[in-house]
Amino acid sequence: MSKNSEKKKWDLKATKEIMNKMLQEEDKKEEVDLPEDTIQIDNLAKRKALDRLYSLTDELIERIYKTGKPVIELPSRSNSNIIWDEKSDLLLLGKQIQQKQFHSLTSVVDFTRLMRVMEIINELLIKDMHATKREIFYTDVKLFNDQKNSDKSIEDVSTMLYTTRNSTHVVASARGSCVGRLRIRDKNDIINLEGLGSGGWSISPMLDNIEIIESDAEFILVVEKDAAMMRLAEARFWRDYPCIILTAQGVGNVAVRMFLKRLRTQLKLPVFSLVDSDPYGHYIHSVYMRGSKRLSYESPFLATPDIKLLGVLTRDLDRYNVPEDCRLPMTKRDIKRTKELLEEDYVKKNKEWKKDLELALKYKKKAEIQALSTHGFEFLAEKYLPEKLTTGDWI
Amino acid sequence: MKTFRKKDGGVIQLINKEKMMDWPVELPLIYIEYIRSERIESYGDAQKEVTKYLNSVLKDVAVPRLIEVLEGKNDEEIINALDRIENIANQNLDMARPIKPYLEDLIGKKNKDIKEKANNILELFRKEERRKELNKRRKKMKEKEDLFMQGKISAEEYADARKKYIEFRDNR
Repeated sequence: MSKNSEKKKWDLKATKEIMNKMLQEEDKKEEVDLPEDTIQIDNLAKRKALDRLYSLTDELIERIYKTGKPVIELPSRSNSNIIWDEKSDLLLLGKQIQQKQFHSLTSVVDFTRLMRVMEIINELLIKDMHATKREIFYTDVKLFNDQKNSDKSIEDVSTMLYTTRNSTHVVASARGSCVGRLRIRDKNDIINLEGLGSGGWSISPMLDNIEIIESDAEFILVVEKDAAMMRLAEARFWRDYPCIILTAQGVGNVAVRMFLKRLRTQLKLPVFSLVDSDPYGHYIHSVYMRGSKRLSYESPFLATPDIKLLGVLTRDLDRYNVPEDCRLPMTKRDIKRTKELLEEDYVKKNKEWKKDLELALKYKKKAEIQALSTHGFEFLAEKYLPEKLTTGDWI
Repeated sequence: MKTFRKKDGGVIQLINKEKMMDWPVELPLIYIEYIRSERIESYGDAQKEVTKYLNSVLKDVAVPRLIEVLEGKNDEEIINALDRIENIANQNLDMARPIKPYLEDLIGKKNKDIKEKANNILELFRKEERRKELNKRRKKMKEKEDLFMQGKISAEEYADARKKYIEFRDNR
């Protein structure tokens, strides 16, 4: 783009059309109605989470008194118990139950770790404090041995309590950031996300302290990469096109996904994703859309099923004349991942998505968002995004 | 969220007042002040509707919640609320005006801290009233001066007015 050319103002017609439809939606509760063959997870306030923890402990003590053999039952988080629900378009946890027995050499360590995590969660809830998974690992390094083990126990305890991890006050470390037309409350402080410089607001994992209090945004944009976020922040993209921009620098962690879900539900605005044109980018989009398999029990609180894949699509590479030398060859791993994505039910159901992934397989090429800079640093903010948001060129 | 539409198709969303019922007692007032001072200018033709909504927040949430605390029996809560009201009053006295009659009632309380804090806030109102009255008198004095210069009032009448004005000005 020529630096001297006058900046064109796009009217975002297609985006405004869906925004107007969405704003007329009835107020939605954050949970969705789940099918009968899946388990129901609740987002709990501190007192209720404690109640559930105590009744689980009471049950366990009773079993010890009665049988001398404590057993814990919890929903299985294995692949065979993960169900894609077509109606809600979410990955959910089925009703298969697994048992952890104290009187078994294979599960005694596991059982002890679970009890330790329950003890820590009890302390966090009573003191009304939050801790990261890493901090929990360091509370008992000898017992947990590796953070993978403490992480697994944390997730086990959440499923045992049939609640979200955030309800147990175990939070992800802050990783994402957010800028744009949004004002929030963090306890007694009002934070203006337009006035925090290019870095924006670091999305707090302690989302129970955060409340959306004002916004004049018309859409929400989720960006895979920090570099693209910086480009948009530097251009103050939200001033010309009223929006809220988020990034998680890769796959969205729990805090970012939960915050996005809250923005979508409360503000009733359309959500778009901007990811690399490669299978990993498409995977990141899918995680925002229907949740990850690992955290499928929390999907109703984390997923944004109507998020649109704005770009970078494989078809954009030709449409926006991305030169051959800016396109990268797909690796064997990329090809395998693309084929795996094409096998997913939710991709099979979405013809346009399927077509774009098939085109990627045909070209055997991928491209980063930054490849658009070949047309100038302003291209992303002044042409690519506004044009697509105006014409409705998304999946 | 409470949604307001602009004629150009833009949209403004403010948190529902029902949600503010669970907020710390002083926060609804701070919120109203924030929107009025920092945001409302950018709302274009929706300003009128937003102002109406903010007034209803003040009437239905902010003031009743503070009054509830001030009329309660928990001295500690009253003291905390008075601290917050003083902060708000120092920034924008008009925000605290609806609470003024309840502050006057607190002067009769036995608790010294409550009395002192309520009095401090009321003093801000007194100063404000005096400032307004002084402005009014200064304006009148200017008129008298003009009349005197034009020979339309006598030197005695002017001197009498001047004396009364100075007495009021210096009597703090």
